[in-house]
Amino acid sequence: MTGLKVAWSLAIAAAVAVAAVSVLSSRDYQWTLPEGVPLPVVPADNPMSNTKVELGRHLFYERGLSVTGRTSCATCHIQLLAFTDGRGRSTGATGETHPRGAMTLVNVAYAGRLTWANHLLDTLEVQALTPIFGEQPIEMGMAGREEDIIQALRDDEYYAKAFRAAFPGDQDPLSILNVVRALASFVRTIVSFDSPYDRYLRGDNGALGPEQVRGMELFFSERLECFHCHGGFNFTDSSTHANSLVQSVGFHNNGLYNIDASGGYPSDNTGLYELTGERRDMGRFKAPSLRNIAVTAPYMHDGSIETLPEVLEHYARGGRVITDGPYAGDGSRNPYRSEFVRGFELTTEERADLLAFLESLTDQSVLSNAAWSDPATD
Amino acid sequence: MPRFGDRPISCSTTAEIALTDLRFYVHDLRLVTIGGSEVAVTLLEDPLWQSNEVALLDFEDGSGACINGTGQTNTVVRGHVPEGDYSGIRFRIGVPEDLNHADPLRAEAPLGYSVMHWHWRTGYKFLRAGIASDSDSFWMHLGSSRCEGTSSNVSSCRGSNRPLAELSAFVPGVDVVAVDLQQLVREIDLTDGNPTDCSSGPAESECEMPFRALGLDFETGEAEGPASVFREGPRE
Repeated sequence: MTGLKVAWSLAIAAAVAVAAVSVLSSRDYQWTLPEGVPLPVVPADNPMSNTKVELGRHLFYERGLSVTGRTSCATCHIQLLAFTDGRGRSTGATGETHPRGAMTLVNVAYAGRLTWANHLLDTLEVQALTPIFGEQPIEMGMAGREEDIIQALRDDEYYAKAFRAAFPGDQDPLSILNVVRALASFVRTIVSFDSPYDRYLRGDNGALGPEQVRGMELFFSERLECFHCHGGFNFTDSSTHANSLVQSVGFHNNGLYNIDASGGYPSDNTGLYELTGERRDMGRFKAPSLRNIAVTAPYMHDGSIETLPEVLEHYARGGRVITDGPYAGDGSRNPYRSEFVRGFELTTEERADLLAFLESLTDQSVLSNAAWSDPATD
Repeated sequence: MPRFGDRPISCSTTAEIALTDLRFYVHDLRLVTIGGSEVAVTLLEDPLWQSNEVALLDFEDGSGACINGTGQTNTVVRGHVPEGDYSGIRFRIGVPEDLNHADPLRAEAPLGYSVMHWHWRTGYKFLRAGIASDSDSFWMHLGSSRCEGTSSNVSSCRGSNRPLAELSAFVPGVDVVAVDLQQLVREIDLTDGNPTDCSSGPAESECEMPFRALGLDFETGEAEGPASVFREGPRE
């Protein structure tokens, strides 16, 4: 008890010291996480605050951040679809098709690395620049137009006020730096630990039916190996949190392609190989979180598998066969395939159990929580 | 000054080939004396285009074929050298390593432009160049590749990709540096209707030809010799 008191008094002293230099610096954001769930990593230079999160929510739904004025972050990250867009490959503001699909933003605060296949990207603030300013492909299409963004925000009564409130210490709070800080702060709040599976773990034995419990046991079995890549509290091995001592980062070739029998992937989607040029990185993509997986079809980085039963088939076979066309090949013979994608046999009942378990990972509150919805509908 | 072979080229060139983009960073600028020794040029600071370490040159004016360009241009690097007899110039294209991986959100001119940063690759686009004919086009974005670490803490990039320019008959005050984009595409067929692009990825075989024109070894990212796209030309 004594130790705890000392810690608290130290915390208060620190808070007073901070307040003395920056009176309005608000750090009032309260995480609401179930017991045992660790806090996400928050960069020291972008602390959470309610005003910043609320500003970020407005920016997330702001179509003025695109060159056409018709696309916002929420165009490809739709709350009802767990912040994905239901497309195999997303479409940018100018109509360009992205090689890959929009990833879910649920629990992205815990992602060790961001996007499908990039070992470099580890902060949401930097990542937010890519959809806004990226040119290959064009997403929001604002490359070279940062002054237009700032001017439009300055001319808007809400934003002029909201930036001042969210960044009270800044002489000039309207900046691209603060746009991405607010966006990152909002996106960090999209956390989900209230699926039937989570409730079952917390002791609610009725949260999962018997078929889902059997499916869970299969999922975590050495026979199926699912959990090696889709493991941990966020069902991905690329997870981190405030107390983690090591960053876990994983990229895997799951045998989707084997073009020309030499391990090749389609040239616009070679995975980590695109950045490293190392042949062994061909087709290595991040294992996405499986939370809310039942509502985020289609599947894989390129949306090339339509349904969850077909995903199970893919892994049961240990790789996909494409019989003709430019991508023909047997993915199960891809020389770079992960050692954990080895194939397995499932009875009809086991298949149904596993699907029932994956459906238990959907947190309905994520799909409707007003805190993450379009402010226009408030 | 941008050229295509013997001809000047701009965003609004109407005959055959037009510029679609040309912006690049210059650093490590030196003049070479008649005796052969190098003298570093001290860059003058400028609120838009230069810090004391790096300068941004921007030849596209947003007109014509430069559909993603900006109105402002900057065609001159400004600096000081001691008085002397100079007969050559050397410089590097790109952003020095210590600045290349600093936080782009806090960068000052000339590093604060979204269009010159490669957010998902980390580091800057050292050079953006593009040309188009009626039926074909070529563009390239040059930057460091095969980087390791994370965006906030890049440990190294195995592909430095910083070309070296070396003009041995350059007389300051008399000559200007010409950028000959015909050299950049000398091995590329610009009549076959197949657009070519290179964004410096280690696996992009289309980069091998323009890398050679820039004097870069595509495999190692090192400058093997001077970039052939730069040459001295008379002031016009």
